[in-house]
Amino acid sequence: MSSGAVSAVPAGGSPLATAPAVMVRIEKLSKSFGTLPVLTDIDITVHQGEVVVLIGASGSGKTTLLRCVNGLETPTRGRLWVDGEAMGVFDGDGFQPLPEALLNRRRAEMGMVFQRFNLFAHMTARDNITLAPMMVKGLSRTDAESLAERLLAKVGLSDKSGAYPSRLSGGQQQRVAIARALAMSPKLMLFDEPTSALDPELIGEVLDTMKGLAEEGMTMIVVTHEMQFAREVADRILFLHQGTILEEGSPQEIFSAPREERTRAFLSRVR
Amino acid sequence: MASYTFRFDVVQQYFGFLVSGAEITIAVTAAALSTGSVVGLVVALARMSKRRSLQLPAVAYVEVFRNTPALIQLMWFYYCLPIIAGVNLSAAIAATLALAMNGSAYVAEIIRGGIQGVDRGQIEAARTLGLTHAQTMRKVVLPQALRRMIPPFVNESVSLIKFSSLVSVLGVADLTYQAQVVSTTTFRPIEVFSFIAVVYFVLCTALSWFARRLELRLAVSD
Repeated sequence: MSSGAVSAVPAGGSPLATAPAVMVRIEKLSKSFGTLPVLTDIDITVHQGEVVVLIGASGSGKTTLLRCVNGLETPTRGRLWVDGEAMGVFDGDGFQPLPEALLNRRRAEMGMVFQRFNLFAHMTARDNITLAPMMVKGLSRTDAESLAERLLAKVGLSDKSGAYPSRLSGGQQQRVAIARALAMSPKLMLFDEPTSALDPELIGEVLDTMKGLAEEGMTMIVVTHEMQFAREVADRILFLHQGTILEEGSPQEIFSAPREERTRAFLSRVR
Repeated sequence: MASYTFRFDVVQQYFGFLVSGAEITIAVTAAALSTGSVVGLVVALARMSKRRSLQLPAVAYVEVFRNTPALIQLMWFYYCLPIIAGVNLSAAIAATLALAMNGSAYVAEIIRGGIQGVDRGQIEAARTLGLTHAQTMRKVVLPQALRRMIPPFVNESVSLIKFSSLVSVLGVADLTYQAQVVSTTTFRPIEVFSFIAVVYFVLCTALSWFARRLELRLAVSD
């Protein structure tokens, strides 16, 4: 997937095929917390089926950027579309949040996986997965449960369907969280440092699940410090520094021949 | 003291009289607790509201009831409220009302603490799945918050049982009041007051025991 992908034509695209649809378009996006700028004039286009990995030191704005995409944070300025639909009300340069009902509908179409899993602590693995399909999409319990069983099998946890999160390892919890997000059949998956809270020996199982998703053609934006994963799975890597995209390119370009001194410095620190 | 002979038969003799007092104690506490819980819920919701016009009165309410003596509150409801509001309240109603208001201030804080103690990540996860604010509250926040509220709520119930003895000051014939009557009639304060202390102790520990069982049953998931 990583071979020869450039930003305009993602993995597998041949010049003769129709260009894949744009899944996420971000223009001149800025975000400040009070007077503190966190993101400045971000421009990103993510095509359908593309895996984009955001790297950068902590505090560089990666997580905030991801949270802006699904409305957990409201950008201060700029524009943002997901699958062609505006994620805010744009008045001139400003960015106003969508009305709640509309925002909920847009959010239901993208999945988010958190660093700390955030499984619902009072529900079994199965109930974690069935909740949103039943509440948001109106699936019957029977349909939602068979969906849950199918997704648990997909992430290799068929035998944990009745287990509460506290009885699962971190890696298992994160795989349930991925299954929970997939239950909404998202067009786009956002991963916010999905392995940073895991013991080293549990990281592999989560990365393998993500790799499988990427191979199925899921559009993914991933914030991670796992450089090996970025190298193998990313179509494109964006290096964030102090709230701006300092460098972007294929894994080959970023890892073998980074143009920017700061990118080189960052990579030498994390490797 | 050395030659004192205990006469616990006076307790036996006035047993029915004391039991009727215990019934009043239980009734007053139950009424105050249920009223106080409903009012407490309303106050907690106001306190957590984004609107300052709701928030500030709720804060003031909680602070007034938590920072004045319960006994003064009882007296105020019995002697002052009728003059100000022009209504006549029986001692039992005034006393129960005062206890309920006092309890509601604490219950409001218990509810607020329970809800705000639920990890923000739980809410974010629900919202990113497309659940509405109301669905998130109902399915994710409240079930977890309720579980956290049980222990402090039991503490509050226990202290309300004990505070209910204050209603005797207004002449409400609760366990403490009846004990005073028996004590002055028989000149046997040691036996009578020791006995009712045991009754209060049994009521409070029974409640705590019941709550602990409930908590254990709900705790299977943690």
